[in-house]
Amino acid sequence: MMRWFDNLRSKSEVGTIGAALVLFLGFTFLTDSFFTAYNLFNVGRNLSVYVFIALGQAIVMVVGGMNLSLGAIGGLATITAGMLMQNLSWDPVSASAAAIAVGIFTGWINGFVITKTKLNSFIVTLATSFIFTGLVMGISKGYPMTKLPESFNILGQGNFLGVPNLVLLLVVTLLIVWYFFRFTVTGRHLLATGGNLSAARLSGIKTDKMIVLANMLSGAFAAITALLWISRMASAQPATGGNWMIISFAVAVIGGTSLTGGSISAVGLFFGGLIMVLIKNGLILMQVDTYFEQTFLGMIILLAVLLGQTKELKSRRKPRTIEKDLGRKV
Amino acid sequence: MKKVLWALVAFTMLLGGEAFAQAKKDYKIAWYASAVHPYFDGVKKGVEAFEKDTGITVLKQIGPDWTQESETAGLEALVAKGYKGFSVYPSNASGVNAIYKEIQSAGGFAVNFGAPSQQPTPASFTVATDVKYAATLATQTLIKLMGNKGNILNVLEVMTDPNTVLRKEGVELAVKAMPGVKIIQEVADITSIEEATEKIQNAIAAQKDKIDGIVCTGYTTTVATAQILAEYNKTAKKKIRFIGIDDDPVVVKAIKDGYIDATIAQNPYGHGYISCMLNKYLIDGYTVKAGAYMVNSGALVVTKANLDTYSSMLGAVTADILKKLEKDYLVAPKK
Repeated sequence: MMRWFDNLRSKSEVGTIGAALVLFLGFTFLTDSFFTAYNLFNVGRNLSVYVFIALGQAIVMVVGGMNLSLGAIGGLATITAGMLMQNLSWDPVSASAAAIAVGIFTGWINGFVITKTKLNSFIVTLATSFIFTGLVMGISKGYPMTKLPESFNILGQGNFLGVPNLVLLLVVTLLIVWYFFRFTVTGRHLLATGGNLSAARLSGIKTDKMIVLANMLSGAFAAITALLWISRMASAQPATGGNWMIISFAVAVIGGTSLTGGSISAVGLFFGGLIMVLIKNGLILMQVDTYFEQTFLGMIILLAVLLGQTKELKSRRKPRTIEKDLGRKV
Repeated sequence: MKKVLWALVAFTMLLGGEAFAQAKKDYKIAWYASAVHPYFDGVKKGVEAFEKDTGITVLKQIGPDWTQESETAGLEALVAKGYKGFSVYPSNASGVNAIYKEIQSAGGFAVNFGAPSQQPTPASFTVATDVKYAATLATQTLIKLMGNKGNILNVLEVMTDPNTVLRKEGVELAVKAMPGVKIIQEVADITSIEEATEKIQNAIAAQKDKIDGIVCTGYTTTVATAQILAEYNKTAKKKIRFIGIDDDPVVVKAIKDGYIDATIAQNPYGHGYISCMLNKYLIDGYTVKAGAYMVNSGALVVTKANLDTYSSMLGAVTADILKKLEKDYLVAPKK
């Protein structure tokens, strides 16, 4: 039992999970409307969207990059699916497949330009974010698509035994992400590419291919998030993705994804997303003054992250010794 | 490779320059919208009607985003090209005044459409909905729908926008007049539909059984609330009454389907037509009549009952304003 507890304590996500639990319990006791079916249902749906957005960013952060065009790709996927369903009467499955293909293709463009030109991913994706946003606005003229099949809303609005379908989909996706990075060769190669690019290349990993793959997966996640959002809102809004950038970085970093690459945690992303969603939810439930809302949001995020990093901060102050490490192993 | 790149650059410049080629030398009127948006499409129709009726070509330019920086850069380029009359949607109510000063120094005129610039302003006119009046009208309509009693969720947008402050005042004015009604919660600081959805849903969760009605006085929040209530009111035991602003297709559909009650329609056609007409008069030598600045373009409550007729009703409002323009807002040049 003690060994299990020690093992658990050594996990980097424990702090994040603890911070999320503190917020969850705090809001449960501080407000009478937090622990209600309606609120928890919506918290779950928001959490799902937040984590999918963060996955799009985390997957490129793994290889040491970033994707500033994530929201713009989401916008392109939104109008692709919306227009195909509304204007060309495509069925939801085909339209969704086309939208994901657009996401993968735009991700491939990012990856291709980054690896061929050796330009920083910040510059490349900043430029493509303008290109993709321009395409979204030029094609859609800013008009939303509202005549979508009712069946498309099941994923975003429906539930299974009271649990939002979006949350179920999120759990399955995170399990796949966990398995992919833990047990597959490609997943390990992606981590190695971000951990140390030169070492990975010298050990025979095709790092350029890994960077392109990470960008394609990022595009795919952006497109999937867009589809989930359309399904939830029952309309395809060209402005979709406009606020994704901050969310994507915040959730990914709070969730333990390293900005310098080489690490990702499915559990961390889940609880990182939960922290963000809970804070935003709790502030409104507690009727915080709207003028000071941003201040409280920033303060609580900082506190939550500090709480999540307590273990790391402690270990920085007390340098590890061989004796201690040996003692732990015994 | 270099040749291909140069060809691409030249092609892009040609595409961008196409709009400039349309300008007519006589009046040199330019219409500037911040970004691609359904509202500006409606305004553009008014500008096109003005062109058709007067034979004056107006340069129509749409900016890349909603920032004042982009708008200022775009307008500066047009001033450099010699444009005199500017019909502009101010991206930032106070920030736009700097470029208006430049326009004025270059001997030109600026007319706001859609929203006013912050006072004191070098703009000659503002053709827009009286935002405070529209907010009051919306809230009064909502209160009636609620049976003159109950709790309201007041949803505002960006708090740094002076128009948001006016909208807030408008809502509070209507509520103050009704003792049985109170604002139970205020949600604000919203810039995107995603953010609006999250915040409004959180507020509904916080006050679920206490909210009787929601009033939204901004476009983004209205679209989000229409979508939320299209889902919520389908199954809820107690329907939440709602009034928003603008006639986005999402909002119109929700009214048609009976999930929301009403919206306040503004007059985008009039914003385009009247602002260009005022520029024409100013270039012709007319001056602004003392005290004239705000041209109230009208606002209508749109419900399921007048969904098919409200556009023509707003057209009549525009025609009426155009008739009164010379008399009520301008002073003719001395011959």
